[in-house]
Amino acid sequence: MWEVSVLEKTIYIRMRHRLHISPNENVILKDAAQIIAPEPVLKKIENLIIHQLTAADGNIVIIDVMKVIQRITEVLGEFEVQTIGPAQTIIEVVTKKKGASIPFFLLIWFLLFFGSAMTLMNFHDDVSMGSVQEKIYTIITGKKDTRPLLFQIPYSVGLGLGMILFFNHVFKKRINDEPSPLEVEMFNYQMDLDNYVILHENKESMKHVHDD
Amino acid sequence: MTIKILMILFLGFASGLSVGAGYVAFLTVLGIIPRLMQLSKTMKMIHHYEWAVVIGALAGVIADLRDPTLGLPGFLLIFLGLTGGVFVGMLAAGLTEAVNVFPILAKRIHLDGKIVILIMAIVLGKIFGSIFQWVYFGHQ
Repeated sequence: MWEVSVLEKTIYIRMRHRLHISPNENVILKDAAQIIAPEPVLKKIENLIIHQLTAADGNIVIIDVMKVIQRITEVLGEFEVQTIGPAQTIIEVVTKKKGASIPFFLLIWFLLFFGSAMTLMNFHDDVSMGSVQEKIYTIITGKKDTRPLLFQIPYSVGLGLGMILFFNHVFKKRINDEPSPLEVEMFNYQMDLDNYVILHENKESMKHVHDD
Repeated sequence: MTIKILMILFLGFASGLSVGAGYVAFLTVLGIIPRLMQLSKTMKMIHHYEWAVVIGALAGVIADLRDPTLGLPGFLLIFLGLTGGVFVGMLAAGLTEAVNVFPILAKRIHLDGKIVILIMAIVLGKIFGSIFQWVYFGHQ
């Protein structure tokens, strides 16, 4: 009996990691969190407004689970709220999908193209790649050539191939389910950004107590 | 005299040790060997790969210091050039990845989905720069 009554009075909440929302929309509970609760209670709280977006919010708002619990207890009173998982949701206000502009994109493409071409030439010069290649040519064939193109052209093609191989784009279909290093890197970078905003955009996460 | 020889032996050994350790450390940071093993699913062969790196480095040392000539046919150079190029390309890719260029760039210009195009810009740029340099400049 006792167990059943506890179960009926408990609401389980798991904050979502990230929520995309358009401006002028309200953040409601079922968008910001996964909820498990008895049916009548669920109906009462799932459309609860947790946060009203204002212009001052900027494009990232952090909803702390404390705020959610506070709102739920305001409405329901004596219910017990159990939280599972992350302690906050990152609300990202998406104004409108802005696509990358074509001229801007082309500019960056050529920037990268000529930039890496020049970087590579500097690198080759820096490590005296040319004389090393001449040396290799002499070692293998016994002849001298100041332009061992037989070595240099495959080398240049291999250079590009090696980069592609590293980022795993030759095999469009993915040999296995493991993510490529780049995807892992993108993910890590996003996690770092998220951790930053969680601490810096959440006013409750830091408190200065003046002791003088 | 003996002291001098011992000193030189020690110095040579010490510098070789630090260069070798540095090379392996660099290779480890860039994660090329794990990447190749992941692509080819040959995780069990890791010790052979280690030895390949060590023997390759020693072969390079001998080729550099003793200037041997083998008198082999020239087409072998195509294979050498290609493998050498792939290795340097993977080094470059590993280095770019280690310094976080792509995630930041893609985020800044809202191109998260089309990052492949940016990589292709860099890849083609490298191939172009490399071929251009060898064909056009030659050696002074």
